Amino acid sequence: VRTSGWDSLEPHFTECISRDQETFRCWWSPGSFHNLSSPGALKVFYLRKVSPVSEWKECPEYIHSKRECFFDVNYTSVWVPYCIQLRGQNNITFDDACFTVENIVRPDPPVSLNWTLLNISPSGLSYDVMVNWEPPPTADVEAGWMRIVYEIQYRERNSTYWEALEVQPHTQKTIYGLHIGKEYEVHIRSRMQAFSKFGEFSDPIFIHVTELYSEETTFPLTFILVFGTLGILILLMLILIFQQQRFMMILLPPVPAPKIKGIDAELLKKGKLDELNLILSGGIGGLHTYAPDFYPDEPWVEFIEVDPEDSAAGEKEDHQGSDTQRLLGLPPPVSLNHHLNIGCSSTISFPDDDSGRASCYGPDVPNQDTLILMAALLPGQAEEEEATLDEVERAPSPEGGESHFVQSQTAGSHTWVNTDFYAQVSNVMPSGGVVLSPGQQLRIQESTLSAEKEMQRKGKEIGACEETGEKKQKGLQFQLLVVDPEGGSYTTESTARQISAAPNSPTPSEGYQTIPPQPADAKPAATAEDNQSPYILPDSPQAPFFAPVGDYTVVQEVDSQHSLLLNPPPNLSPHPCMPQQPLKALPATPVAYVTPDLLGNLSP
Amino acid sequence: MVSDSSLNHRLTLLFLVLVCLVFCRNLTSIGAAPICTNAQTGCQALSLANLFDRVIQHSARMHGISNDLHSEFEQYFLPSKNQIGRVSRNCHTSTILTPNGKENAQRMAREELTEVILKLLMAWRDPLWRFHQGMAHNHDFNNFSSNKALEMSDMVHELRKGVEKVADKMQMLGIISNSVSSQVSPEALLPSDSAEWHLMRDYDLLYCFRRDSNKVQNYLKILKCRIVPEHGC
Repeated sequence: VRTSGWDSLEPHFTECISRDQETFRCWWSPGSFHNLSSPGALKVFYLRKVSPVSEWKECPEYIHSKRECFFDVNYTSVWVPYCIQLRGQNNITFDDACFTVENIVRPDPPVSLNWTLLNISPSGLSYDVMVNWEPPPTADVEAGWMRIVYEIQYRERNSTYWEALEVQPHTQKTIYGLHIGKEYEVHIRSRMQAFSKFGEFSDPIFIHVTELYSEETTFPLTFILVFGTLGILILLMLILIFQQQRFMMILLPPVPAPKIKGIDAELLKKGKLDELNLILSGGIGGLHTYAPDFYPDEPWVEFIEVDPEDSAAGEKEDHQGSDTQRLLGLPPPVSLNHHLNIGCSSTISFPDDDSGRASCYGPDVPNQDTLILMAALLPGQAEEEEATLDEVERAPSPEGGESHFVQSQTAGSHTWVNTDFYAQVSNVMPSGGVVLSPGQQLRIQESTLSAEKEMQRKGKEIGACEETGEKKQKGLQFQLLVVDPEGGSYTTESTARQISAAPNSPTPSEGYQTIPPQPADAKPAATAEDNQSPYILPDSPQAPFFAPVGDYTVVQEVDSQHSLLLNPPPNLSPHPCMPQQPLKALPATPVAYVTPDLLGNLSP
Repeated sequence: MVSDSSLNHRLTLLFLVLVCLVFCRNLTSIGAAPICTNAQTGCQALSLANLFDRVIQHSARMHGISNDLHSEFEQYFLPSKNQIGRVSRNCHTSTILTPNGKENAQRMAREELTEVILKLLMAWRDPLWRFHQGMAHNHDFNNFSSNKALEMSDMVHELRKGVEKVADKMQMLGIISNSVSSQVSPEALLPSDSAEWHLMRDYDLLYCFRRDSNKVQNYLKILKCRIVPEHGC
């Protein structure tokens, strides 16, 4: 299009378009030359280069009403260059243009647009729509002459911005994400594939979906399911929390552990065999009465009743009984056990002599004289402190027994019994006699002085600590009983009396037993001599008060005066001044042997 | 023992059979068979419609690239105001008789149409190659254009082979007679050292190729919709 100036516009071609690639039209405009607007004033000539010799021809068909020159099928050749000219009078050429037909193709818009609803989102707010149409009838798509691609555009009714989707050759398209309640407008245009000129837009169609399908039935159903499940879960949790105990019983029933009435299960652990032995062997009869209820909240617990009458029960007893029996040929001293309810707290703080003594308590011994001595020898119960403590207190002894004891100790002769180094007192006769297990040797060395000092020291301690008022001061007295083997392992009555007379002597803090030195009036020289001899003279009738010792006692220390400080089996009362704590029971000598870990503790 | 060895033999045989079954199933699975290039056996043969679709897609892409390159060149080389001069240019393929309208194309015999397509493709093989070479050495053009030229050159080559295959298939199916020859008439081929080549500017070459690729695309579509009008017609 040639323009000669801004103010005047020459006649020119406006556009040439082909719709079907078989015909094409060209339009012109007279411009500002209004005198040329009359039909026939301007002529169109075209040139078609089909042959080497080409000539200008006039427009085959004029449509003056539209100022259009129409080239029909006969005059249209594709892929052939065309040139047209707009001529006025006197062959004045106002405008010319050259093109090829395939480059001016603008297909018609598609027809028969319609839409169908695909689905609605579960929330009921948006939906998808499928739009389909027919290709333009003027375009011969079936023959493959025209390959058309389509572009869909849509917008909301009141909007001015068109949303364009990607061009594609198919005659249908899905539009996603339309909103319910809003009205949409859709139109489509087409163009040739690999070319860029679009045809006109089609007539629009309107899409409008109201809330007919709102509140799908499945929607609240899912809510109900979800909330119902949550509620049930919460309910189960609450039930579990509040009925935890019952559930635990059902799911994890307690394992029946060996529960012997009167014996705490703690004793069955390692290291407390001594107490257990004590209970089983000595104090079964009393266990039932005085044993605290260990399992108050487990009423279903069945206790193993260790029947003391039953000779088969109580393995430990057999051990002792058999020894004695073997020795003496006596029936098992069953009756003794009734009278011996020994509960000693189990604690021995092993290397420390002065601390942590367990106290052995007086059992329910009908004979007040024959008290607690066995308890001293035999392992006691750790937890039965309270009950047995009372018993201890009840177990009477003259309060003045201390001095008495001391005196008796000092007065006592240096009696040595020709026994083994360790002798276990198996039983205490009601009469006060003591039965020693045979076959063990007791090596006793006394030192008078040290014993006295010990007593005095203890006395001071006791005096200091009595103000605290601890019950533990009334611990059981440890005494070593030396048995005259000639007497058939029974102590004399006098001896026993002496022994029994001194239970309350305040030496609770004795962690060891000092074989009290023989009284001075006895034979000190003999003592000295005897100190050197490790054997106990068997023929001393007046057996001094010796603290009973177990089958094996640990030799704690050897004094300067060659007195052995024996560590009694775990019958040690705790230090009176120390708080009452259930000290750990030494893995002290069990009934019949020295455990290997104690061997190292023996100091020369 | 004899029984043991026989049992072993049977077991190995069974094992081999199982392995073979597994393996053979893999080999004969769907999609694993190669497409027949020659008259091979055991290959998966493509249908004629499938072949047509492939070549038509190929030609569409080729035309698209030529269109892009042409419009790119139009930016650099302003079309001469004198449109007539533009019209007077002669493409070297003008000597090949091609139908200029739909009716002409439809009236043309299938063999002729196929032959025309093949001639056109054959005629453009060398010029495009030279065009690409010229672009590669000329630093005025960026790599993008050079790559497109190379791609165009390759596509012409592949498209020709594809159309030949389609022709073979059609001949095999008896749709067309065996008179189709891929021999290009000598007048369509310009000698390589012709002076006209150098006169022909790149822009004109692109213009001509753009037109011819459109012709090829059109003819192929017409042919397909006439022979196998199943999908996309």
